[in-house]
Amino acid sequence: MATVKVNQLHLDDLPWIVEYDEAKCIQCGKCVATCSFKAIKPAIEQRKVSGSITEKNKIEKRIVIKQNISFSEYCRGCGMCTRVCPNGALKITKNNDSRLSVRYRAEKGESIKKGGRSNLNTEGRTLDKIKVGRISQMTDPSLDAVRHTFELKTPLGRVLSADKLNFEIKNDEIISNTKLPPNRWIYPIIIGDMSIGAVSWRMWEAMAIATAYLNEVMGIPVRMCTGEGGIPSKLLKSKYVKYMILQIASGHFGWNRIIDAMPDMVEDPAGILIKIGQGAKPGDGGMLMANKVAKYIQEIRGVPKADLLSPPNHQGLYSIEESVQKMFLSMNAAFNFKVPVAIKVAASATSVSVYNNLLRDPYNIVGGFFLDGLAAGTGAAYEISLNHTGHPITSKLRDCYLAAVHQGRQGEIPIFAGGGLGQTGSFAADAFKLICLGANGVFTGRLLLEIAGCIGNDLDKCNACNTGLCPAGIASQDICLTKRLDIDKVAQNLVNFFIATDFELRKLMAATGCSSLPIGRSDALITVDKNVADRLDIQYVC
Amino acid sequence: MKTITIEGLIKNNRISTQDLLQEIQEKINEGYTNFEINACGQHDIGGSSWAKDPNESLTFKITNPGQRVGAMARKGTKIYVNGSTPADVGWLNSGAEIIVNGDCGDTAAHCAASGHIYVSGRVGTRSGALMKYDPKFPVPEFWVLKNTGSYSFEFMSGGIAVVCGFDCSDIESVLGKRACVGMVGGTIYFRGNVKDIASCVEIKELSQEDIDFLTAGMDKFLSAIDKRGLKDTLLNFNEWKKITPLPPDKKINKISVSDFHKNDWIEGGIFGDFIDDDYKVYPLATTGEGRLQEPIWDSSKCINCKLCINNCPQNAIKEDYSIDENKCIGCAFCATVCPKNAWEMKNNKKEIS
Repeated sequence: MATVKVNQLHLDDLPWIVEYDEAKCIQCGKCVATCSFKAIKPAIEQRKVSGSITEKNKIEKRIVIKQNISFSEYCRGCGMCTRVCPNGALKITKNNDSRLSVRYRAEKGESIKKGGRSNLNTEGRTLDKIKVGRISQMTDPSLDAVRHTFELKTPLGRVLSADKLNFEIKNDEIISNTKLPPNRWIYPIIIGDMSIGAVSWRMWEAMAIATAYLNEVMGIPVRMCTGEGGIPSKLLKSKYVKYMILQIASGHFGWNRIIDAMPDMVEDPAGILIKIGQGAKPGDGGMLMANKVAKYIQEIRGVPKADLLSPPNHQGLYSIEESVQKMFLSMNAAFNFKVPVAIKVAASATSVSVYNNLLRDPYNIVGGFFLDGLAAGTGAAYEISLNHTGHPITSKLRDCYLAAVHQGRQGEIPIFAGGGLGQTGSFAADAFKLICLGANGVFTGRLLLEIAGCIGNDLDKCNACNTGLCPAGIASQDICLTKRLDIDKVAQNLVNFFIATDFELRKLMAATGCSSLPIGRSDALITVDKNVADRLDIQYVC
Repeated sequence: MKTITIEGLIKNNRISTQDLLQEIQEKINEGYTNFEINACGQHDIGGSSWAKDPNESLTFKITNPGQRVGAMARKGTKIYVNGSTPADVGWLNSGAEIIVNGDCGDTAAHCAASGHIYVSGRVGTRSGALMKYDPKFPVPEFWVLKNTGSYSFEFMSGGIAVVCGFDCSDIESVLGKRACVGMVGGTIYFRGNVKDIASCVEIKELSQEDIDFLTAGMDKFLSAIDKRGLKDTLLNFNEWKKITPLPPDKKINKISVSDFHKNDWIEGGIFGDFIDDDYKVYPLATTGEGRLQEPIWDSSKCINCKLCINNCPQNAIKEDYSIDENKCIGCAFCATVCPKNAWEMKNNKKEIS
């Protein structure tokens, strides 16, 4: 008989319990074949055939489905097994008594890594406490979302204030003597930066196809940020690169290929995004675990198969001023000052200082400020960062915007806000509210994964992107798993989602009587929460 | 036919709209049918004055009216305005003939559902918006000699509008900006340039039927506004086109994303120089190369008990213990039941190259 010891990992320690109904099971084996985490396995159990105490016990052996008890191969709650089971013989339930986080640290002596998003969800969402409450009825033009024309565009790039423009009149024509910084009018939703590596090649290409389709076929000028995991030369050299915002983060992965492709590029990219930090794990750099560093990733990033931990900061940048002088200048210079260069930081208590400092940029080379809130997602992070660091986006965006307003400089450096948008199923409303609070636009990444079929949630379901075993083939480099992802279906779903969101933005714009983006129109927002009203300087209602 | 002249301004005192309209109604009740109204900006003249007998005709000659001339007018009513009018001429026109010898303000012919509106000048913003057609009544017609302001014919759902573009050669668009937003029905004939038309409509060449309609209608129109001399200029049909709403099936004329991927996307995919992807999609539990794990048999351990063969849910193990890859899904039942560990499950992780 196997001995059982108290300190051994037990089923009750695991975060998810797979309930198995033997009577319903037809032993087809599909659940085991499907589970990418090897969380369940066939096992042999003994059954007593007769219950009578007078007969001699007759024992029978049966195959059953059992849960694996292991620190690495355990159930993440993804539920793929329940999808393939023809009889509903399996059920996944969350184990509120789970002690895995303690047991793991105690056993391994290391910090837990996860993917996805914060799993505490303790803050609640400010955006859900805000309603769009200023409805245009007889006060200003009431609009029809279906049939009226709306201008859903926002600038990416430095906007100069009028006093910095120097005009003269020559031969009856107005001539500008100011070198104008590059500026692009883009859709106010940017496809957020997810790297090749963090997501599978199929997921990444599906996003790129959807972006191109939205632009070329639907006329919706959506831009996609590449993330920093290298960019395929074929894309760089194609006309579609004009829809791409190229990212440079602290790892500088793949930039040699971008530099190499420069002479062959037929279009300028849409922009450059310098990633300093991200909302899901502020203070950490990028993280790609070795099991996801497939051969093509090794090539495109110029790395061996190893855990890739980018430094938390850009080495060589020690202050905001220096960042402006060095990083912004180099990135502007790379494209001959024709491509807007923006920066992305994690929302933080210090964000306003950073934004104020950037507003003083004397060279007019700071083309955008991306603020990423704590509910954002990530491919991999230490759980300690994911669950315990960060700053909500809403008040931080508002603070930055109002800081600019108080100097009369709002809009000069466009602000893009992100981090957990669409978390409660209302992406367009989140985007609209943030725009009213002062954002020029928003960006989203994690939501796109959900559109593609990610089954993770904010209550610890799955969120195993770091393992490379993504059961949906989204955050994996495994060929068998990635091939679960239907590239055309994903691209179509992304396109559909943007079309639906575009309509919903129009619905809110129409209701508020705005035919162009209501950036900073906080008079459109109301809240029944006095604290939120006071903090955000919006109307308190009851 | 009893005729009366009503003054809107008496001894430099303006009569209120209410007093003027009530006086008109009193005179109708007394049997008057022919009115000359020298108005002073009073609203709603000529429209909401109802004849006692529905078959009776009322005629109004009006100068200097306020808004909504001929608004809500019934069939049989004839309205002639000498001079220009402010907004909403012929609002909800339900059968009257309204002639304006001048320009009209905004939203002329708004919601007109029958009758004729003839304008010898220009009309303002949102003119022709929401015109409609009820097949039990004659089709509404709205004729404009010159051009319209912006947002013309918004949400138009029926009727016929004719914009003759006379004296408009230097105008970018005889229908103004963003015309026809939300238009779902009706026809607009126009002569001259148009620009910035809503995407829900199409511009087409005239058919013989259209030409016949315009030829016949033009005579009546030019007679009504007393500009018969323009007939030759305006009946050069090479200069005319018409606008109709796109049929619903034409509106979704976009290629699918998968066709875009196939035909317009970068050939071979952006990862084509790293990865040879056939874009095949594996189901969750699958056979062959898509299996997450595959069983490997060690003949030296096998005691030929056939437990694996008998317990394989997919019948994938042959008599010689080889695996039929088209059946095996990698469920590991064989490895579980084997008393001698002759089966080992191996991760089927092929590196992408």
